[in-house]
Amino acid sequence: MSKNSDYLSRAKRQYYITLFLGLIGEGLVLIALWEVLRIFVHPLLSNLFIGLILGGATILISLLWANILTKRLISPVQALWQLIINIAPNGSLPPPNIDALKIGRELVADLSSQVLQLAGNAEQHETSHLSTDLSRNFIANNLPLPLFILDAQETVVFANNHAGDYIGINPKDIIGKNFYMVMDMSFPSEQTLDKWLKQVKSSNATSTTSWERVRLNVLDNHPTRLFDLAAYYNKDNPDKQETILVAFDHTKQYSQDDQAVSFVALSVHELRTPLTLLRGYIEALGDELSGNASPELQEFMLKMSATAQQLTIFVNNILNVARVDNDQLQLQLHEESWSDIVTSAVNAISLRAKVRGINIEATIAPELPSVGVDRLSIYEVINNLIDNAIKYSGEGKVIKVDAHLSNDGMVETTVEDFGLGISPSIMPNLFTKFYRDHRNRSQIGGTGLGLYLSKAIITAHGGNIWVRSKLGEGSTFGFTVQPYAKLAAEVKNSDNKEIVRGAHGWIKNHSLYRR
Amino acid sequence: MEPSVTPGQTVKPEGSKQPKKVLCIEDERFIGELYIRSLNKAGYDATLEVDGAKGLEMAQSNKYDIILLDLMIPNVTGIEILRILRDPAKTPNFKGKIIITTNLEQREDVRQDIEKQADGYIVKAELTPNELVEFLNNIA
Repeated sequence: MSKNSDYLSRAKRQYYITLFLGLIGEGLVLIALWEVLRIFVHPLLSNLFIGLILGGATILISLLWANILTKRLISPVQALWQLIINIAPNGSLPPPNIDALKIGRELVADLSSQVLQLAGNAEQHETSHLSTDLSRNFIANNLPLPLFILDAQETVVFANNHAGDYIGINPKDIIGKNFYMVMDMSFPSEQTLDKWLKQVKSSNATSTTSWERVRLNVLDNHPTRLFDLAAYYNKDNPDKQETILVAFDHTKQYSQDDQAVSFVALSVHELRTPLTLLRGYIEALGDELSGNASPELQEFMLKMSATAQQLTIFVNNILNVARVDNDQLQLQLHEESWSDIVTSAVNAISLRAKVRGINIEATIAPELPSVGVDRLSIYEVINNLIDNAIKYSGEGKVIKVDAHLSNDGMVETTVEDFGLGISPSIMPNLFTKFYRDHRNRSQIGGTGLGLYLSKAIITAHGGNIWVRSKLGEGSTFGFTVQPYAKLAAEVKNSDNKEIVRGAHGWIKNHSLYRR
Repeated sequence: MEPSVTPGQTVKPEGSKQPKKVLCIEDERFIGELYIRSLNKAGYDATLEVDGAKGLEMAQSNKYDIILLDLMIPNVTGIEILRILRDPAKTPNFKGKIIITTNLEQREDVRQDIEKQADGYIVKAELTPNELVEFLNNIA
């Protein structure tokens, strides 16, 4: 609209300039006549009276003459301007009366029809300027960024040349397909493109947003892509072109981070054997000393064991993050007793809590159904959540673990601490990679990988992970896993292989591996 | 909060008067020794072998109820041993249970063989010796 009003004010200016030029024209003609009279009639002016009459008559005649001339010469132009301003949006002048023109009526009529035609085109263009064929638009096509335009059904209606190159598919083959089929993306947070679109569409809002570190799950033989994605949804756009998406490639930068993790993973792997040995010897030493050691020695044993355990958690986290990043996190889902798992995980880590003077209180609802989980991975989740609770307990001396059946039939477990709490502003980032609460970065150790990993593991189990927190009062992290029966039903109904061992065995069905 | 297997506790595997015989084929001698110690304490009759070829020979003798098999061992690799033991032409009437012990990620074909042919799989770094005993108690 600002463009239109700009044009309108320009047109008006031109109109007044034309009027003004007309006036100047009249003046000039008048001066010219006066000069002619003065030069030729001057010698006759011996008589003042005759002079006055002649002078007066000359002025009148020249005014009349000038007026007629100017009107006839300028009025066609004026009429055209009047026409333009009349048809302009918010136009204020009355339409010109072309019939009143004495000179150039034909020309003005002809020009007027052309102006009207142009205006008609412009109006059409205005309402559908986006639905013009973008595939012929040089800029859109040659923009050095992958650009996609989606319709209301999230079907691709336009993809530029670069978009095709970027994902390794001919742009022509992308158009008309569902965007999510073309671009299989992993988003770093809960808020994914489809969820965002759903939100903005339901609230009928025009909105823009962006994501960092989006990963394109590419087809075979095509390199992985990591990029930031910007999205623009405009409710005013015609249905066919509702959403515009632009990707900003950061594959190089982001994959360097990932390579760093891979390198660390490789190094950390070498720690496993010595660490296993160390834990073995600590355990053997504990066995030998049990009952005979002084309280101080017993405490040292406890601390040694807790420290070795902490190191194990760290090593496992690094290794598993590398697996998640390479899509190699594999789960073997077995039928397990949830109360056994929670009890033994809590027992194992309670050493570490005890060293910090923290008591873990576990409440496990009776008669929980058996669950379908990968024991080791689930241990890691519980370890990470309790480990965090210990780290962020501050003055809190109790951590509550509670396992129960949730309303939707899942087995839910919560880990609650009464420590520092989490500021609402950072909650959405908690489960992203490398994210750490900056307030505590210097005081509290960590890699920023624990929650990221926990989330990946729980999601792969078909569960959910969440957090609730109040600054200064503490945090509660919770997650759900599926009852075994539910999982087994899911397996039976799918094309997966059968459960090889039932009863209290394990699902030796490795097509159940999830990534 | 007591550990699940208390030190010195003797666990008699159910349904057998004879202690179960375990062969641990593991080239990381220290780890092997720790396993043997815990297993023997818990009432198993466990033997350690660090060489792959010798380990295979012993396993084929069919004297053992459980074989703990490391994948990375000298001379004959663990996966070769697994394949030979499970091949009736090469090892007739093999009755033992085979538990793979490793710390490494497996290639796809190896992983499939393990899943098809082994009775269990443990990641060494995840289990302390006493936890290994607990694991074997469950599988027996």
